[in-house]
Amino acid sequence: MSREVLAREAINHAFKALKKRHLIEEGAHAPAYIALSRPIISQGSEWKEKAENLEMELQQCYKAQSRLSEQLVVEVAESRALKASLQEKEMAIAELEKELNQTRDECSQLKTDLEEKIRALELLMVEHQELKAQLEQMAIKAKNAEAENKMLVDRWMLQKMQDAERLNEANALYEDIIERLKASGLEKLAREQVDGIVRRSEDGAEFFAESTVPSVCSHRINAHEGGCASILFEYNSGKLISGGQDRSVKMWDTGTGSLTHNFSGCLGSVLDLAITHDNRFVIAASSSNNLFVWDVSSGRIRHTLTGHTDKVCAVDVSKVSSRHVVSAAYDRTIKVWDLQKGYCTNTIIFHSNCNALCFSTDGLTICSGHVDGNLRLWDIRTGKLLSEVAAHSLPITSISLSRNGNVVLTSGRDNVHNLFDVRSLEACGTFRATGNRVASNWSRSCISPDDNYIAAGSADGSICIWSISKADIVSTLKEHTAPVLSCTWSGLGKPLASADKNGIVCTWT
Amino acid sequence: MEAPKYVWEGAIPLQIHLHESQVTTLPPPPPALILAPRIGYLPLLAPLIKPYFSSTLPPGVDTIWFDCNGLPLKWYIPTGVLFDLLCPEPERPWNITVHFRGYPGNVLIPCEGEDSVKWSFINSLKEAAYIMNGNCKNVMNMSQSDQLELWHSVMNGNLEAYQRVSSKLKLATVDDEYASLCLQKSQQSVIETDLPAQAKTGRVPVRLYVLSVSKDFDDLDEIPRVDSWEKISYINRPVEIRKEDKCFTLHDALKILLPELFLDESLMNVKLGGVDLEDAVRNSNEDVTSVKVVEDQGQNVCKQPEACRISSSAKIKLIRIQGIEPKLEIPFSWVANNLLNPDYFLHVCVCVKVAQ
Repeated sequence: MSREVLAREAINHAFKALKKRHLIEEGAHAPAYIALSRPIISQGSEWKEKAENLEMELQQCYKAQSRLSEQLVVEVAESRALKASLQEKEMAIAELEKELNQTRDECSQLKTDLEEKIRALELLMVEHQELKAQLEQMAIKAKNAEAENKMLVDRWMLQKMQDAERLNEANALYEDIIERLKASGLEKLAREQVDGIVRRSEDGAEFFAESTVPSVCSHRINAHEGGCASILFEYNSGKLISGGQDRSVKMWDTGTGSLTHNFSGCLGSVLDLAITHDNRFVIAASSSNNLFVWDVSSGRIRHTLTGHTDKVCAVDVSKVSSRHVVSAAYDRTIKVWDLQKGYCTNTIIFHSNCNALCFSTDGLTICSGHVDGNLRLWDIRTGKLLSEVAAHSLPITSISLSRNGNVVLTSGRDNVHNLFDVRSLEACGTFRATGNRVASNWSRSCISPDDNYIAAGSADGSICIWSISKADIVSTLKEHTAPVLSCTWSGLGKPLASADKNGIVCTWT
Repeated sequence: MEAPKYVWEGAIPLQIHLHESQVTTLPPPPPALILAPRIGYLPLLAPLIKPYFSSTLPPGVDTIWFDCNGLPLKWYIPTGVLFDLLCPEPERPWNITVHFRGYPGNVLIPCEGEDSVKWSFINSLKEAAYIMNGNCKNVMNMSQSDQLELWHSVMNGNLEAYQRVSSKLKLATVDDEYASLCLQKSQQSVIETDLPAQAKTGRVPVRLYVLSVSKDFDDLDEIPRVDSWEKISYINRPVEIRKEDKCFTLHDALKILLPELFLDESLMNVKLGGVDLEDAVRNSNEDVTSVKVVEDQGQNVCKQPEACRISSSAKIKLIRIQGIEPKLEIPFSWVANNLLNPDYFLHVCVCVKVAQ
């Protein structure tokens, strides 16, 4: 056989084999297998499809959900915002309502106020009109009154002038009478009038004070231990200077009773005090044979006057110059000191000790009271005795000059107080009282500044006051428990001061 | 129908049992009945098999593998080839066991599913291209989509799609005069128009699987079961079609591939006339093999489709290609052009009796 034929046959055989195989293998089994697997495959695929569909749906649902939730969030936010704004609006509305109500109330209130005011205004206007009318009336009245006034003033002036004329006439008449009186020689009357007038023009007349009789003890001062022998008022003041056994000189304000100055340096007990006319210097007579001069303002000793050989029991200073000091000591001398020169210018020796001294008003004469009871006048320049008079039977204890300088009061141990005229040395008055005993050799009495009363202390501690004009005792002051050693009357008229042996000073008003 | 169509549509009925070690339900699941394409591969059946057994599988990761009578099946060998090789007496349906656990890593190379199979396929394609064209440029330059389409056409058994893509590859075909001769006129013209400028090659890629049996047998079902891959020798050798030979038959190809089995041909031819006993034996053997042997002992020495033997020790008992046993006179060029697998390889199963 040919190759091709063989080949072709082989190929055909192969084909047939393939067909046969097909029939046996897949051809036979395929239908059954496919049928068997269909459910599973289909199932599987079904489920798969289902699953895929569901997944897609789910995805879509998720997407939709997310979208919705986003929307929801937005919506919620919006609604919240709206709520908030709504609330705000509501609140605003409430507020506005409130405000509205308030304003309405205010408005009504204002309306009523306005009505009131209008009414008030109307009233006021009416009143105003009335007042205007009144004013006009008043104005007219005033004008009338002015005119009347003017007229009356004119009339009055006229009257006055008439009166003046009449007065002038009267004065002229009076003067006539006076002249006639004068001419008729009512000299006494005239002199009295003239004296009074003259006195009124005296120096120091302004200080003249009416003295009253003191009755009440205003102060009781423990001034000095051991006794107060000498007290003295400053010129025309209420300040009292006291000197005592305790070697001190004190100045008191008698208004309050308090101590204002204390002058120290005195070496002995103070027996007598003097103050210059200008109240600048205080001079104390000391039992240490010295005199001490203090400057009141500084309180220091200005001078110590030495020379006496025994205790100095009396001192006085010139009322004119303040330069001359006269002192009497128990060495039977009276010394005249010149404060400016600083030494003794004159020494008067007399056999009888002098207990008390007093300058005259012109400062040229001194009056001295002696143990022999005589009152003597000396000229200080020459030292010559001018005159003397027997004033007392017993030693004179005190000499004091009246304010006018004309009379001098002397007290003696004979318990008699005399007034002597300085020029004539005649006794003007005598005063005594029962129970009034002069306490010591140096008991001082005094005259009141108006020269009307005399005050003197007594050994029983009482003070007797006599009236010069009445010439009789007018009062007895009892306070002291010890003998009263010294009395002095303030230049102002009151108080009266007294010192006793216990050192107590009483002021009386 | 043309041969390639038959080849592509071929399918083996499988009865797949789940291995008892993996059965966790009572009663045990029934075997799955699957039609497996001959040109396909066993791992590709996994998605079809899983639904049957998924409920009964023990928990864990599944690695699918198959065995036939205890012999783990190599997954890179096409299903049809495995069937032809391991079932000399075709057993329909073919009972195999599927395992999901306990992958025998010492016997089988790892398979990670469809991708491993795909890459194995592409690899074979490159090999074939190299053998046929001398380089595998055309396979390597194939676009991704073309690759995928080719693979999918193979997976789905879509011959038209496959032919569309493979024609782009411009793989040379075997010059086959006899193909044009044997085919009907219409088909011939179609073929001519379809393949205008086809390069012609003289080298055919062949994968030869030789099953050696020690005992001689009369019936195919007497062939003992294969229990080890050592019994099967694998020869990967291209067949050079000699140009000078006008008709190159399958016999000639086999001579090239298994020269040791054809040593005594000249001897045999000499002996033919004398020894009748051997002829009788041979004849009976030939009958069994169902190869229609046209004995023409006189003229064409080279065309004698005689059962070959190596002295008295080895002789080819069975030749199977795509499930059929072609005659030895069949032009090899026809075989090469029509019975090849999609990977452009010709898989040939041979059963050889070897005397030990």
